Amino acid sequence: MIHRIIKQIQRYKGWVGAGAAVCLLTGTYLGLIASPPDYYQGEVVRIMYVHVPLAHTALLAYTVVFAGSIWYLWKRDRLIDNMCHAAAGLGFLFTGLALITGSIWAKPTWNTWWTWDPRLVSFAILFLILAGYLMLRTFLTEDPDRESRYAAVLAIVGFIDLPIIHFSVEWWRTLHQPLSISTRGVSISGELLLPLTIMSIGFHLLFAYMLMVRTQLLYLDELLQAKKGRLLTQMHLSRSQTSP
Amino acid sequence: MSFIKAIRWMVWKDLITEMRSRETLVSMLFFALIVILVFSFSFSMDHQAARELLAGIIWVAFAFTGIIGLGKSFLAELHNDCLEYLQMSPAPKGAIYLGKMTANFLFMLLAEVVLFPLFIIFFNLDVVEEIWILLVVFLLATEGLAAVGTLFSALTVQIRAREVMLPVLLLPMVIPVMIAAVESTRGALNGEPFALYSQWFHLLGVFDLIFTVVSYWLFELILDT
Repeated sequence: MIHRIIKQIQRYKGWVGAGAAVCLLTGTYLGLIASPPDYYQGEVVRIMYVHVPLAHTALLAYTVVFAGSIWYLWKRDRLIDNMCHAAAGLGFLFTGLALITGSIWAKPTWNTWWTWDPRLVSFAILFLILAGYLMLRTFLTEDPDRESRYAAVLAIVGFIDLPIIHFSVEWWRTLHQPLSISTRGVSISGELLLPLTIMSIGFHLLFAYMLMVRTQLLYLDELLQAKKGRLLTQMHLSRSQTSP
Repeated sequence: MSFIKAIRWMVWKDLITEMRSRETLVSMLFFALIVILVFSFSFSMDHQAARELLAGIIWVAFAFTGIIGLGKSFLAELHNDCLEYLQMSPAPKGAIYLGKMTANFLFMLLAEVVLFPLFIIFFNLDVVEEIWILLVVFLLATEGLAAVGTLFSALTVQIRAREVMLPVLLLPMVIPVMIAAVESTRGALNGEPFALYSQWFHLLGVFDLIFTVVSYWLFELILDT
């Protein structure tokens, strides 16, 4: 059944990509030109239209990896594993970009590139966990089944660990000093909310599109490798039969 | 073979192997000694600075030493295809995990108990009153490190670059343990009242419980063939 769903999804892939492009272009126009600068932050706030969607998409990507890992361990479907691999790669990319854009935003606003805020630390650790996940997969390529199994185990442990990490860093910081900046107090006005929403939809569509393309690519690559292996075995067999 | 018995045999097997070769403990201890020396050179500490930094230094040394021991834990099983026999053995996989974890826990704890007096000597500490609190911190934090570490040791032993992958995967995951252990050790060393840092004990306890259960459950998938 899952393969039928995937086939349906693949058929509408182009529409998702086009939707992402439309949303991102509209959002960029609204964010950079149409919307006014923020009362407190000035022009700097515009990077938030990229930063916040990136952070959300990164978390979504890791959730996909986690859910997919459990699904893979249950059903042992190669396609699901390829989806996890693809989502982890995208999550790594989005987490990295979220950290970079956050840093650029923090320099004029907080007057520092980096602070040991729980959310920053959790994201940095998420980045490290995803990097470890991808490294593990590259070091295990000779055995695809084991690669998927081990990667799934790692993803599950990391996903359970992430809230505990966040919680412990929060505790650690609040014991030492109160949080210097909290964005929770600042509410967003409608003029700023519209580009943020559109950019957010755009990034989620972009993630969905990239996930589909990448999953397809990994799946086809695996099929190709399998076919190559079979072909080589056949050649080897036919040669050994003809030789005396 | 009953579950408890299987655990006991696993622990006994690891202890007897270690007693005959003394490979793991000796390498752990000497590595830790070097770490302590390097730290004391690179910070050139007076008494006051030592008080502030020491808790962190102790736990960095313990964590790295633990990683040496954890890396050796399943590496030893690779020789003579012992790992395959473990996979084939009728003992429950969970019992193999718990046995391995207990053995790792004991090695790490032993190394810590030997090393801590060295810290007392080198950094001129006075910890007569807090020694029991520190011992509980060591117990809880080491259990947390061993719980995740044993799983990851099994995870990385059969892949290329295993020496790099174990710390790369393990250290981000045990950050809560490190924070809690450092904070409570600092509290105890500075002679603060117990209530000020007792919440870290809860964090350690929760982490230990969650990850012992999760690793116990996931370990079966690692040994699967």
